[in-house]
Amino acid sequence: MVTNQTETAIQVPRAGRGRWLLLAAGLLLLGCIVLPWLRFVIIADQRVALSLTGQQAATIGAIETTDGGLLYRSSFWLFFAPLAGAVGLALGAINLLPGRSAPWHGLFAVLISVTASVAVWGAFAASQEIAQKQKVAVEAQLGLSVAFMALLLLLVGGLILLREASGQKPAFRAALDALNFMAPGSLLVIVFFFLPAIILFILSLTDLSSANFSEPWTYVGFDNYKRMFSDRFFPKILRNTFQYVILTLLFFNVGLALLLALLTAHVSRRVGFFFRLLWLLPRITPSVVYIVMWQRIAQQPPYGILNQILGLFGVENQPYWIPESPWVFVVLVNGFVGASFGMIIFTSAIEAIPADLIIAAKVDGAGNLALIRDITLPLLRWPLLFVVTYQTLSLLVSFEYILLLTNGGPGLFTTEVWALTAYKRALQTYFGSNQWAYGAAWGFVLVLIGAILSVTYLRVFRFNDLVQEPKIDVL
Amino acid sequence: MRVELNDLTKRWGNVTGADNISLDIQSGEFVAFLGPSGCGKTTTLLMVAGIYKPTAGEIRFDDRVVNQVPPKDRNIGMVFQSYALYPHMSVRQNIGYPLKLKKSPAAEMEQRVQRVADMMGIGHLLDRRPAQLSGGQQQRVALGRALVKEPSLLLFDEPLSNLDARLRLTMRSEIKRLQLDLGITSIYVTHDQVEAMTMADRIAVMQEGKLQAYAPPNELYERPRTTFIAGFVGNPPMNLFDVQLMREGDRYLAKRQGLEFELPPERGSRAAAKAEVTVGIRPEDITLLPDAAGSNEGSQGEVFVVEPLGRDNLVDVRFDDLHLFVLADPRQTLKIGDPVRLQFDGDKVQLFDPETEYSLLWT
Repeated sequence: MVTNQTETAIQVPRAGRGRWLLLAAGLLLLGCIVLPWLRFVIIADQRVALSLTGQQAATIGAIETTDGGLLYRSSFWLFFAPLAGAVGLALGAINLLPGRSAPWHGLFAVLISVTASVAVWGAFAASQEIAQKQKVAVEAQLGLSVAFMALLLLLVGGLILLREASGQKPAFRAALDALNFMAPGSLLVIVFFFLPAIILFILSLTDLSSANFSEPWTYVGFDNYKRMFSDRFFPKILRNTFQYVILTLLFFNVGLALLLALLTAHVSRRVGFFFRLLWLLPRITPSVVYIVMWQRIAQQPPYGILNQILGLFGVENQPYWIPESPWVFVVLVNGFVGASFGMIIFTSAIEAIPADLIIAAKVDGAGNLALIRDITLPLLRWPLLFVVTYQTLSLLVSFEYILLLTNGGPGLFTTEVWALTAYKRALQTYFGSNQWAYGAAWGFVLVLIGAILSVTYLRVFRFNDLVQEPKIDVL
Repeated sequence: MRVELNDLTKRWGNVTGADNISLDIQSGEFVAFLGPSGCGKTTTLLMVAGIYKPTAGEIRFDDRVVNQVPPKDRNIGMVFQSYALYPHMSVRQNIGYPLKLKKSPAAEMEQRVQRVADMMGIGHLLDRRPAQLSGGQQQRVALGRALVKEPSLLLFDEPLSNLDARLRLTMRSEIKRLQLDLGITSIYVTHDQVEAMTMADRIAVMQEGKLQAYAPPNELYERPRTTFIAGFVGNPPMNLFDVQLMREGDRYLAKRQGLEFELPPERGSRAAAKAEVTVGIRPEDITLLPDAAGSNEGSQGEVFVVEPLGRDNLVDVRFDDLHLFVLADPRQTLKIGDPVRLQFDGDKVQLFDPETEYSLLWT
């Protein structure tokens, strides 16, 4: 049986279609590398020919140096990269000759050497420019982006190559299969998380802002970070952020969510469904409408609903409540929205607990509280971990309700949280001077905090213990 | 503890789960609730446990009405088909959980858990999690958990259905033995009539929410009161078919297309008023004879299927559109299509009214 499968695997040329795909990818890649390189060389020549000024040269992507002569300082890497590519090409060509057992191995050799050299070129070009506090030239940026792309292709191509090469070793192949299975997910994470984070970091090392965005970036090192940490309100913002996340998470996103789930799961299905739907309303209300509603609730008499009710009890002359106790409202407003997520997750988890377990506990002598403490909550460990982790991260980066409700006020930074600061620095300033790079520094630190928190959560909750061994073996 | 159910009824809207169930269980008695799925046996059990509230009727433990007593105050132990072990607790914690809820002192708890675990033969597994145990071991843990608080009533909800056939046999006798030794009143819900027959002192047969019969196993077997009981109790099941009843002098003849046999007068006379009756006869009460050509005695059919069961052969004999199951000696060589004659053991023939489905012989 097993032998049969192995034989089939060898007989069917599975790489048949992949070969053409890879060829296309290779061509594309070559185009990406060769064309900018050609462009650079042509521009370099043209500058001499047309006697462009330094400023003009800079606008079309070349570099002006102090002596006004040399165009590009990283020429070594520039020439090294195609050289390495050429060597790879030659080596690959030998393998590509007819009669060779597996021509695509040669193709891979070409691809890998070329992509590797390009990656090296891009990275070194950029790092050299940055290290010398030069303006980062367009081709260095281009080199970097191509390098990222190349690294991605290298990863995929390398995986496939390794898979082809390891056809005879089951254990190794199983490991590769696992990587292949994860590839779509990993690619998404890389493209939509790692790359933006890296770009954000690079951005934060420059002085890019609306004041100078038409010029090439200037590398300013960690100036943005120094500025951020020495900001007078930095401790205040940090404290606000933790206060906001912890209070909202504890009392609403987890606390209220759990309470709602427990309550709605223990009434009749229809009633429970109705109440859950009710609690979803804040979530689906447009945020501006939602905030206006809260403001209407908190208004001074005679408009404020809260004050009208207080008036019924003889409590008169009450203020507009939001500036009065802004934190209460920041937490309430976010909590009412945030509770629905946990509520849904917890409800489905509670309903998934087998009825027999509940009956068994009741028969064993558990009252309602003991039942929740000893059976329901321990079995909700995984959804709890998930909701705590997920909601911490989403609260950390959320600011829209605070922006609309108090805009960080009243007064200076009273309710301003980290994400709001980052947003304001980068995209919303009084004088229209958007400090993109400075905002990126705030944003990047937030990314780091989020990453550290996630890892901590996974450790504290012992995530690995919660994951079952796979029940399916890959043959 | 004695248990008494009086007109116990459970309804959800217009769905009736249990309909006027009345029975009493003596102290120390082992009673089985037997019936096909959806017959109301688990509903009744859960009412006894206090999980469902009865719509009408009462449940008495000894002389106390317990309708309103929550399950935790009923002092019962329960064992489930799914074992229902707490997956996040070790075996020790699982068995000790009822004691923990009673706030027993730690030392006493430890001692009792160990004793029960040793009794169940799982003393060495106390630190494992349920997921690390086999099905049989899990069921022992569940049994230990039910026993540790020394309940006055044990409830079993198809506890052996998830076990493999061989283990089911072992556990069956173990549970029976344990129940005898401890003398705890027990209710055992099952759809497996072999389990009910072998374990129970009395069996309550249920169908569509109603109690059909409540009797010791052999009485159910020998004197079924309805066609449902006749067909449900016994394996392989009793053959049931309609016949025309003819009286020729003192002889009672049962006739049907291709089939004719004589009923003993003492049984036949009970059905004398009916022109048509339902006959029930168990496969082991029919003798299979090779067809002697030209014989008028008995009835002639042909072998349709032969299922070897080891000790016996289960033979499906066809008479036109009627199939009868017969247990035959495996040494008797039979081929499909062979003509055969059947001889009924007249003293074992059951007679039912085809309209009411009640027995004409037993009330």
